[in-house]
Amino acid sequence: MKRIITTALLASATLFGPPAVADPSADLIAAATDEGTVTVYSFTSRVFKVEQAFEAAYPGIDLIPFDISSTEQITRLQSELDAGIANADVAYLADASVVVGALVEPGHLEAYVPDAFADRIPDQFKSPLLAHRLSTKVLMYNEEANPDGAPVSNLWELTTADWTGRVVMVDPSTRGDNLDHLTEITLQSDAMADAYKAHFGTDIALGSDIQNAGQQFIADLMQNDVIFVSSTDDVNAAVGAVGQDNPPIGFTSYSDRRDNEEEGWALQVANGVAPAPGIIYPAFLGMVENAPNPNAAKLLIEFMMGDNCCSGGVALEPFYVAGDYLTRTDLAPHPDAIPLSDFNAWRIDPEATGAARTDVADLVLSLQ
Amino acid sequence: MISPSGAGGAFLRRQQMSSQGLTAGAQVLLGHLVLVPLAGIAAALASPAGMDAISDVFTGRIARNMLWVPLTNTFLIGFVVALACLLLGGFLAWLVTMTDMPLRGPIGVLAALPFMIPTFAVALSWTVLFGDDRLGQSSMGFFAQLGFDVPSWLAWGGVPVTIVLIAHLYSIAYLMIVAALVLVGRDLTAAAEIAGAPRSQILRNIVFPVVTPTLIAAGALCFAEAVSSFSAPAILGLPVRFHTLATRAYGAIETGSPERGFVLIAVMILVAGAFLALSALAQRRGQAFTTVTGKAGHRGRTSLGVWGWPLALTATTVVVLTTIVPALALVFSSLSAQTGALFADPTLHFWIGQSDPGIAQGQAGILRNPQLVLAFWTTLAIGLMTGIAAMLCGLIVGTAISKERYPLRRSLLEQVSFLPLLIPGLAIGAAFISFYGAPIGPLPSLYGTPTILVIAGVAATLPFAVQAVATAREQVARELEESARIAGASQVRILGAITIPLTASKLIAGFVLVFVKMVRDLDLVILLYTPQLPLLTVLAFRYASDGFAQFAHAIAAVILVISVAAHLLASGLGRNAQPWLKDQ
Repeated sequence: MKRIITTALLASATLFGPPAVADPSADLIAAATDEGTVTVYSFTSRVFKVEQAFEAAYPGIDLIPFDISSTEQITRLQSELDAGIANADVAYLADASVVVGALVEPGHLEAYVPDAFADRIPDQFKSPLLAHRLSTKVLMYNEEANPDGAPVSNLWELTTADWTGRVVMVDPSTRGDNLDHLTEITLQSDAMADAYKAHFGTDIALGSDIQNAGQQFIADLMQNDVIFVSSTDDVNAAVGAVGQDNPPIGFTSYSDRRDNEEEGWALQVANGVAPAPGIIYPAFLGMVENAPNPNAAKLLIEFMMGDNCCSGGVALEPFYVAGDYLTRTDLAPHPDAIPLSDFNAWRIDPEATGAARTDVADLVLSLQ
Repeated sequence: MISPSGAGGAFLRRQQMSSQGLTAGAQVLLGHLVLVPLAGIAAALASPAGMDAISDVFTGRIARNMLWVPLTNTFLIGFVVALACLLLGGFLAWLVTMTDMPLRGPIGVLAALPFMIPTFAVALSWTVLFGDDRLGQSSMGFFAQLGFDVPSWLAWGGVPVTIVLIAHLYSIAYLMIVAALVLVGRDLTAAAEIAGAPRSQILRNIVFPVVTPTLIAAGALCFAEAVSSFSAPAILGLPVRFHTLATRAYGAIETGSPERGFVLIAVMILVAGAFLALSALAQRRGQAFTTVTGKAGHRGRTSLGVWGWPLALTATTVVVLTTIVPALALVFSSLSAQTGALFADPTLHFWIGQSDPGIAQGQAGILRNPQLVLAFWTTLAIGLMTGIAAMLCGLIVGTAISKERYPLRRSLLEQVSFLPLLIPGLAIGAAFISFYGAPIGPLPSLYGTPTILVIAGVAATLPFAVQAVATAREQVARELEESARIAGASQVRILGAITIPLTASKLIAGFVLVFVKMVRDLDLVILLYTPQLPLLTVLAFRYASDGFAQFAHAIAAVILVISVAAHLLASGLGRNAQPWLKDQ
């Protein structure tokens, strides 16, 4: 039933939406096919699904996918380009707060906005790089074990005895988006202080060396034996796996809910948690400086923005899921998702985050 | 090229020149392989960013968790591992060489294997067996799945890291002590026995003094290896935030603070180096004993009596637990739909399965995955090339050392060629990135090329190659080389016509050791690899950290098979590989 409604919604969006997106030009396809391959560094394993769709659409071009975290992509692209080597053609990554200074400003990554999409992507998502979608790091819980909704309503509950050793997140010392999340919590210290008072009934008292309520939250969370793991899939399995009687809770991507059925998870977002469930941030597509296959790179970026079919076509299928907010204005929101306007996550300000994150990283290190 | 030499003066000059040429060649090699990369790290630390990093790491608010706690953990692991390896390896070595324990043949063969098994494979197999529900019920290990309450300290952190490293490294101690005990010669102990000395006195007064230098050396080597290990703490430490210097250094380098990583790496080198230097000092005092050997007249094994079978069972348990059990755990896990549910729901998907969008983001089984097939061949090729290159360098350096007449220069060559033993693989990788990662003058950057992997591999394995060449050369009677030289043969010609053919079996053994070290190594290559140049160990590690455990376990099983096969092949080639197993 849901699927029928979805299809109907999508169909209407297509029928009454803006005019059809033009196919990539024949010249571009020919030049890309001549190049024959395109290499992409991607911060999401969904790139393997993109590979299948892309190679089906362009059998003459071999897409070589690499699943590399944003943090590692930044390090690798810097090393490679400083060494005068361009191994990759396209980078698909988040960590906006670092990407701008480390890769865009030195010219290592360039924005490419396909003409066909120029008028259906808001300007704020066209630079410094083309934003493919908005991604999230938010509090997720196991909806099978908690059929009545999220087991917490305030982030500060995670620092109490009920959740000792039962909060899971990716090590913020190794993944930028999780560090950005903690950084945002410190930048939102007023909201964190209000939430503290709402939960405990008293004003927050800061420990020594702690400057604000956000830092105090991080300290208390670490004190409460938060579990660091190495990948979001580890968080998802820990929190989401069905058949658990007392599952942990964790910070991961809202969009990982899409894999619930395939992976045997029951992940759901705790959108109502005060003051906010987490952060929402852009996922960029960029052309690598001196890309060995520039035309194939352009073709792939255009392909990944989708086509005019239904919900953006096969290319967008892996991303047209609840929890990913596509930047194209001509697509209907995913029917199963909380509309962006109702989604309570903080929208990060890359510049402010970039300025504060080293300090937060050191704070996390000093607290372990 | 043999050419009759006329004038004696010309002959002498040529001899001098060829010896100088060798030394010069060895110096160039050692300089580029060992000293220059170290200078790269030193230069990075001397920069303003490096100075900031030094003060942050030593005195900043991160100092405690970045340096002091990991340093303490690293030290503790090193000490416990070294001690346990000596006890375990020494005990097994004694049983196999000196006693009439039943099953000592197969036990001796198995006890040499753990060194061939990659540390990260043993660490992964630990999670398969002992993982608890800290990461959720779906990633519980075998025992937790069976309903046992696995305590957290046994599943994660310092205890399993230590156990895994002991299980890997005791075989180094075993092999070294066996070699020393063979040197003791059962004739000495037999003589004492005939003279009526009690067994405790034989051990105390004869065996221990003779093997003490070896014990110290073996302990130091195990300590250095344990201190520099990256993969075991990386896999078993993170969920409880247990860090060593190696994991902290890796984290810093990979997340954009390379200078902080270099500071930690410098500390690692100093720690391992100081310990090995201490051991060298201690060894010098005991060395006089090692010359005491004689022709064996009567060789008897100590009779264990009723203790024979209990000790044999104990030893068998140890070697089976450290070889066959981890291998089986990995294989069965790679055949299970769920990590720790070893015998439920078997599947071949992770080996040969077609891409299925429902499993592991649609990734096909490893035998169908083009990147893994590429990684398989790349790993073999890098291993082979490194083996050949390392043995060539070993020949040049080893020959130069034996030919060098000035003691100071000779000892310098020796010391520098053994320096890589002190340097953790991770540090060698970092050093090569920092030095060869950018273009040098007209030379292009080596970043991301097979060349940088091979060169770093040669640097890391040089001590083994030089040692293999040295022991091989001892077998060649000097007269042969002397007479060729008098006949006017060049140094190259002597190497090609005499030294190499006569030492071939030892050189092949050295080559296989280098090959296996490269194939199973993660620490050295984790910073050097690029996605375009995939290696099996790196892929296995990435799969493990991305939550695709079964793929990781399948690849680890493949690496294990390659390593053990190469090792067995080599010990089959050298027929007298383990003479101490024979009854004489």
